[in-house]
Amino acid sequence: MNSMIYILVQILVIIMAAPLVNGIIKKIKALTQKRKGAPVFQMYFDIYKLLQKNSVVSEVSSWIFKVTPYIVFTTAIAAALLVPVSTKLITQQIPGDFIMLVSILALGRFFMMAAALDTAGTFGGMGSSREAMISSLIEPSILVSLFTVGLISQSTSLPQIMNAVQNTGVPLLHPVYIMVFLALLIVIIAETSRIPVDDPSTHLELTMVHEAMILEYSGRHLALMEYGAAIKQLTFITLLVNILIPSDQLIGFTGIGALALSLVIYLLKVVLLSVIIAIIEVNTVKFRLFSIPNLAALSFILAFLGILQYFILGGSHV
Amino acid sequence: MELFLRNLFLASVLLYLFGAVISLILMKRQKACNIIANFICIAASALGAAASVIKILWVNGPIGIFGFKSAIPFVSLDMKVDNLSAIFLLALSILVLCVSIYSIGYISHYIGKRNIGLFNFLYTTFILSMIFVLTSANAVFFYISWEAMSLLSYFLVVFESEKEKNQRAGRLYIIMTHLATAFLLIGFMIIYSYTKSFDLFGSSAGIPEAARNIIFILLLIGFGTKAGVIPLHIWLPYAHPAAPSNVSALMSGIMIKTAIYGLIRFLLCYLGIEHTWWGVVILVLGIASAVLGVAYALMEHNIKRLLAFHSVENIGIILIGLGVCFIALAQNNELVGGLALTAALLHTFNHTLFKGGLFLGAGSIQYAAHTKDIEKLGGLIKKMPVTALFVLCFSLAISAIVPFNGFISEWLTYQSLFANIIPGQAGLNLISILAVAALGLTGALAAACFVKLFGISFLGLPRSNQALKAKEVPVTMNIGMGILAALCLIVGLFPFTILRLIDQVAIDLVGSSILGQLHGGFLIVYYPLKVSANSISPLALLIVLIALILISLLVIRIIGGKYIERKYGTWDCGFEALNARMQYSATGFSKPIKIVFKILFRPTRKTTFEGDWLYHPETIEYTTSFTSVFEEYLYYPMIRTIKQFSQRTKFRIQTGSIHNYLLYIFIMVLALMLYNRFV
Repeated sequence: MNSMIYILVQILVIIMAAPLVNGIIKKIKALTQKRKGAPVFQMYFDIYKLLQKNSVVSEVSSWIFKVTPYIVFTTAIAAALLVPVSTKLITQQIPGDFIMLVSILALGRFFMMAAALDTAGTFGGMGSSREAMISSLIEPSILVSLFTVGLISQSTSLPQIMNAVQNTGVPLLHPVYIMVFLALLIVIIAETSRIPVDDPSTHLELTMVHEAMILEYSGRHLALMEYGAAIKQLTFITLLVNILIPSDQLIGFTGIGALALSLVIYLLKVVLLSVIIAIIEVNTVKFRLFSIPNLAALSFILAFLGILQYFILGGSHV
Repeated sequence: MELFLRNLFLASVLLYLFGAVISLILMKRQKACNIIANFICIAASALGAAASVIKILWVNGPIGIFGFKSAIPFVSLDMKVDNLSAIFLLALSILVLCVSIYSIGYISHYIGKRNIGLFNFLYTTFILSMIFVLTSANAVFFYISWEAMSLLSYFLVVFESEKEKNQRAGRLYIIMTHLATAFLLIGFMIIYSYTKSFDLFGSSAGIPEAARNIIFILLLIGFGTKAGVIPLHIWLPYAHPAAPSNVSALMSGIMIKTAIYGLIRFLLCYLGIEHTWWGVVILVLGIASAVLGVAYALMEHNIKRLLAFHSVENIGIILIGLGVCFIALAQNNELVGGLALTAALLHTFNHTLFKGGLFLGAGSIQYAAHTKDIEKLGGLIKKMPVTALFVLCFSLAISAIVPFNGFISEWLTYQSLFANIIPGQAGLNLISILAVAALGLTGALAAACFVKLFGISFLGLPRSNQALKAKEVPVTMNIGMGILAALCLIVGLFPFTILRLIDQVAIDLVGSSILGQLHGGFLIVYYPLKVSANSISPLALLIVLIALILISLLVIRIIGGKYIERKYGTWDCGFEALNARMQYSATGFSKPIKIVFKILFRPTRKTTFEGDWLYHPETIEYTTSFTSVFEEYLYYPMIRTIKQFSQRTKFRIQTGSIHNYLLYIFIMVLALMLYNRFV
């Protein structure tokens, strides 16, 4: 029963909140450009509209093209299930850890890259090839930074890690966590196709990565792909805020009220991080494709420095 | 029970022998020969698989199968099966079963063109030699079987010997494999000189410290060459493409694993692990092989060369597990040692399944499209949908993606690395962390590589006439691959089916049961795999995924109404003549990674224009190539030096005159006699 409640709350929160992050980022970008911008809830309307439209499917494509949106969407949700939005929600083990999280996302990515090659267009191949490069370069840094926080709590399970960091005071004052935070921030930018790695708002063949892969999609397929990307983005943000900005220890009581309060604080943290990402996006320009390895290397070095500091300083409160 | 089991193993061995004989007898009747020989192999391997499972689950301790002392000193044909042998025999039997089913269809295209009787004879004896390697109880018999295995596989590699390329591949293979054997021989001799025994189940107490270290290095080079550890891997990418695909499946699936078996048998079981640096060396070699193997695989566009480099990568992953096991055991940390050994053995087993399957898939593609070059393929998913589905399964499995088996063993490897990071051992921890990063990079690059393999060859538009005319392969070939694909999924979803067996091996070798640490039951619905506080459940994940897909289908139906689809051409920028040449090629796909890692590949390119190069070139020719660093900078200088040396000695020592050679023999004999007289 408990796990059913967990799954329900988790899915509802993630599905409801995911498009909001995109809305906030777009709004802030618009405001900085002295535009009014689309409403914060625009993506919800878009998805609703797309779901009602017919789909255009390439003559060349095979069944891979049609199943991919469903796989991308559901793997994103399954990944989200492994990252609790609130530690007040979870009382027991969940059967999955961050290694599995990486692997589930890899399943979605595998199909997305394959589907991009399925339509026999040039754009798809272009996006697929670039995604292959970026995702492989960023992978070591995800694992090493999560290993660092995992070592501190002696577990690879995310709820355990989140519980353990609540006892460390303010993690972001600790050198280990600062490094991990910065490393994961770069990971989020790369994984969610944001400037400076990719530009989500362009369809220029010189620059696009994620957009190139989903170029052939339309109607409900496109809605699922976009929604999947948004959920994946929120999953990563949840990972970052709940591990490195833990807040549930501040809530002294338990029960429904605590859960509600915890979720409100969680949403505030998500908004905060969306603002940070938007500010980064406003203040940087897109990198040349072959500068991205430098960014990935920076992220890996930060993660590696983090783990070195863990060996030297230990992970507990300073 | 033991007697029954002994007879079961014996029956399996005798059946293989019978298969070998009958394929020679039936040489003239090719069709019948092919079917009968393969059916005998299927029966023999089924017996072997059953016997191995029974052995592990119900019989403790090694059982002797066959003991034959000959009059020749040291030579005794002594076969014993313990749990370690049994787990490798199980992998071998399963693979042979599937490959033999596959071969019925695959070999049929040789009928009338080649001597199938001879092929089947070699094929069966090759399997038999591997069984002997895995079960021999003394070093001399091991050595003889090892040599037989190398020679028989050489003959299979050069089976299509009319091609100059295949002969060269065979030559390289036999040179490398004999170098390896030489190292093994010296190692065995040193062991014998101290213990006065070739018994593998005996005690190694008499061997002093320094000799142990030397033996370790010799055996590591010897077995490492067979396994394809970087930098000794150079024969793999030549030998695998040359051999027929069913043979490559066996070679990559199980023959290179006999080297892993050798490492565990000689180092872990026989010598015992005392030094941490043994484990560190193996771990570092594992990291290098994993990363470089997959990086080179990405650059290859010949399916079988690509897969050969992936074997290097996976051997690297196995060695990472084995290295962690050795490190932990040297520090008396049995629990971590057992976990790492379980991870290594499980990955060995898994790799047998998916790499065997992938080579069979490559064989199917070659059968249907008559090419190994993926740049000439495309759109095969419509021509051969079943093959495509299976290759997709294997690709997901080898990329360590849930819910397939590759993920389980990589998860265990990660967990053993995680458990091996203990505060206070600074250097070792850093290597473990680097191994984590390397595994992550390897997994992602492998996924990229298999998106390339699958996407370019099966999806999109056909890039050549051959690919356009491809047809689905005979059903036996698909059955063989199908069984392997199903096993990949089953092991991925129910890892305990196989972990129960591997655990017995770990208890035997390390003394700690990991199953107690790996919680979880047998065939229960909710199926988590746990290491202390960490748990995963691929089955729960699969159920969630399916449930989510159904729910989202329902929700979309409610919101969006009926699914209406319109077929239309792919967006071609208004050019309105989309053709196969406008797709991304495999070269293009892997180019970003080539540029990022250009230090490894040292790529060169040449572009030649005809006519006005700027605006109206008549033809543009673009060639790109990369250097295989190890051949260029390690092997060629070595070969050059040896050549120069032999040039110089040619006229002074190797004179070609028989009188001189007689003199050499005489001096040698004299020297030996004097040595025996006075020492």
